[in-house]
Amino acid sequence: LTAQDWREQVEALCERAARLRHGEAKVMALEEAVRLADTHGDLDLAFRLRDDLIDAATFGGFPDKALVAFAWCRGQVKRDPERFESDLLLWKQKWVVGRLDDFPHITRKQILEALDDIEQAYARVDAGRRAILKLRYQTARDMGEEAAAETYWAQWVAAPRDYLTDCRACDLDDEIDHHIDRGEYARALEKARPILDGRSACAEIPHLTYGSVLYPLLKLGRLEQARDCHLRGYPMISRNRDFLATVGEHIEFLALTDNLSRGLALFEKHLGWALDHASWRDRFTFHAASGLLLSRLLAEGREAVSLRLPKAFPLHQGQGPYETRALHGWVEGQAKEIAARFDARNGTQHFQRLLARTQRLEQEVRPFPIDTEAS
Amino acid sequence: VDHRFQINLRGVIDLLSHHLYSSPGVYVRELLQNATDAIRARQLLEPGHTGSVRLELIEKQDGGPPTLLFTDDGIGLTEEEIHRFLATIGESSKREVLAERRNDFIGQFGIGLLSCFMVCDELLVVTRSVKGEGRTMEWRGRHDGTYSVRPSEHPLESPGTQVFLVARQDAAEYFTAERVQQLARHYGGLLPFPISLTASGITERINAEQAPWRRPYESASERREALLAYGHEVFGQDFIDCIPLKSTAGDVEGVAFVLPFSPHYNAKQKHRVYLKSMLLSESAENLLPDWAFFVKCVVNANELRPTASRESFYENETLAKARASLGQALRRYLTELAREEPRALQRLISLHGLSVKALALDDDDFYRLVIGWLPFETTLGVMTLVDYRRSYPTVRYVSSLDDFRQVARVAAAQGLCVVNAAYTYDTDLIEKLPRIFQDAQVESFSASELPQSFEELTLEEREAVFPLIKAAEQALQPFRCDVAVKKFRPKEVPTLYSSDAEGAFRRDAERAREESDELYASMMDSVLSGARSSDRPVLTFNYLNPVVTRLAGVPDRSLLKLSVEMLYVQALLLGHRPLSAQEMALLNKGLLGLIAARLDGGNEDSGRGGMH
Repeated sequence: LTAQDWREQVEALCERAARLRHGEAKVMALEEAVRLADTHGDLDLAFRLRDDLIDAATFGGFPDKALVAFAWCRGQVKRDPERFESDLLLWKQKWVVGRLDDFPHITRKQILEALDDIEQAYARVDAGRRAILKLRYQTARDMGEEAAAETYWAQWVAAPRDYLTDCRACDLDDEIDHHIDRGEYARALEKARPILDGRSACAEIPHLTYGSVLYPLLKLGRLEQARDCHLRGYPMISRNRDFLATVGEHIEFLALTDNLSRGLALFEKHLGWALDHASWRDRFTFHAASGLLLSRLLAEGREAVSLRLPKAFPLHQGQGPYETRALHGWVEGQAKEIAARFDARNGTQHFQRLLARTQRLEQEVRPFPIDTEAS
Repeated sequence: VDHRFQINLRGVIDLLSHHLYSSPGVYVRELLQNATDAIRARQLLEPGHTGSVRLELIEKQDGGPPTLLFTDDGIGLTEEEIHRFLATIGESSKREVLAERRNDFIGQFGIGLLSCFMVCDELLVVTRSVKGEGRTMEWRGRHDGTYSVRPSEHPLESPGTQVFLVARQDAAEYFTAERVQQLARHYGGLLPFPISLTASGITERINAEQAPWRRPYESASERREALLAYGHEVFGQDFIDCIPLKSTAGDVEGVAFVLPFSPHYNAKQKHRVYLKSMLLSESAENLLPDWAFFVKCVVNANELRPTASRESFYENETLAKARASLGQALRRYLTELAREEPRALQRLISLHGLSVKALALDDDDFYRLVIGWLPFETTLGVMTLVDYRRSYPTVRYVSSLDDFRQVARVAAAQGLCVVNAAYTYDTDLIEKLPRIFQDAQVESFSASELPQSFEELTLEEREAVFPLIKAAEQALQPFRCDVAVKKFRPKEVPTLYSSDAEGAFRRDAERAREESDELYASMMDSVLSGARSSDRPVLTFNYLNPVVTRLAGVPDRSLLKLSVEMLYVQALLLGHRPLSAQEMALLNKGLLGLIAARLDGGNEDSGRGGMH
């Protein structure tokens, strides 16, 4: 390849990436561009491309790739702060650090060090602590450190906004999660109103919100609104693997309202993502919800279901239906295994409790057909 | 008698302008809505009544701000109804109540009038109801919250309502003839009764008799031209085609315009929607199936329910059915193109391939029809899957760019045709093939499988090359790379480095570990340990390459090692594999070593084992 060739190639890859919506194809195009720049030793270009790659990987469902790209960029900034722009990287560091607890092979110590590290970095540029407090709150929440989560929550919501804090829509969505955790469903929905009314939005909101309010709406008997949120929210997330956990929330909703056929369609369509998703936490949410769905099918006496599942699925078969019991055993096994790994790393029982919650949901089924038999 | 509202009117107006209305210009929409409601109410009593709306700009002699007179011949209000709408205004300081009130005629009337206070300080409403004894009432309201209701001294000849708005000094821009005409046309352009504007003594009708898609046309091409011109007028874009839309569910009708460019991935297509012929939103999103991002449309819906924010429609069964019907209309268009104008379809695919692919994934019949037209990149050039299957029984495809690049270097010379399915939807489309065509076979292919398709060595050749295998294995051990020797084309390629996608990611993580600080380097270690165990990469030597065969005969162990290392680095570089620090050191050391070996060798024939 001549020098000209490879630069043209990088340009073509970037152009292609710019046209693609978030997802694997976009990430692959940028990774390829990064490798070209690395091969030819163009450090500045490699930095710029990785900067884009962090975005694409973060919002396209590849948090591991975002982490790797970030680690490289960070190395460059540390080595030559004059040459490499660090402001944007500082912003993106939040995304990366916020996802660390999704990987069970990252140790608790590493996570805490990364939190300290970002806290120092933000302090160096004289940013407020709001962003950091939220990260600490969310990490504690994800890892099941309840007392710490409570403390950080109170500090986070009281801290003033500054230029490195998340947008209002994101903050609001995360506040809603807190109320749902505590069973304050009416409060959660009250706070969700600006989002659900379309007055507050960003790249991932209301996509995430529609999924998280499904259960509160069910609990409060607001079934029609729940259906509306499902029908409106699912199309927003159905083509981006970054929303695997939200897909899980929709599956849970469909299982709870006895829309099993719809639920199965989602399971069939998204199992592939769960098989190799880098976020084990998102895998867990998906498998746990799918476990509930399949268990509902078993309860209805559906011993076998016809599905087209990906080849990479260990129970894959080209012909004939799947045994519901086998599928159920498999997803439940996955959920349990992941739960055990996380709890071992975190030193808490958080994921065991999440599993127990899913079990309890069996008693909360409340049929509400989305598809009517008419016509 | 003068009255005063029991609430702070300014507060209500503020609330309206901040939460309900995007700009003061919406006062025209609200007045049109009131007039439309009044005319429809009268039509219920008098089925033959056509209705009309007249706007008149009355200039002040002294050059002060003009007055806008807004007249309809709708049902009019009785005195009791006037008091009811006033009561509504009193209650409307809560947003929820406000939204609710908009759904009933009287409530909407009051709220609609309030919006006028965004542009004027005083309003006069003169109205005569169809009902009752035909008395004309007038209501005069001021922005400070005072108002009066009394019988009018200038009775109206026939039922209807007149609203006089005296422009406020700072809102004069909303009262020019151009602006009023533009606003009225914008919001009410599709209304099914005449709307006229009188300014400077000239009266003209400002809306067309029918929506462009309902008008009769001489011919299909005339219709197409007119609709495309309409699309240009509405969106300011030249579209490449237009598609009529119709759905019985929701009573929806309109036209979709095919975008002249590939949309940016996060550009949601904002559609212009009318509800019962009044503009509802210019940014409705949930009207079409999600694959249909190649069009922008204008539609009127008579029976869909708007959301509280009035930006889109409420997700209910009717909307789902309407969306399905509109999707069908678009699908029919694409189907007809595929059947009758394949060239036009190809042009469309070149712009909107993603939409076409997304639909093909969702819809089996459409897949069957269109798969023969979708181009795929392969190691032997661009072709359709139908072309591919004419020559090869099994469709082989790779799902990553990295795989494709590795395969592409030798596949063509080997006569191996592999599809690059790294583009969005392509892998899914290929995997769908056997579900649609019973006899089709597809097989995913990985670059790491490539060497398996190469020709094996004979036993003698194996013996001859064995020392090279041994030496190479040892030399590449530190790099976690396995060694094989095969015969493949083109023979100019001495070695081929192959790994799966996971392998490429491992290398990325290793490089990041080298570059980063201690904390993140340790995390890269964790990432590497957590990564799926993948097959080790393989460096395959090509026995057909003369350098490789000669290398096997080199007795000098260190020269052999050096040469293997250099071939390894070369294979990485040719495969666009960025070098790790360790590999970079190899390259530097190796180059010097080879030069030294060459110099040391003097007249001896050691050049035999060197590189060219």
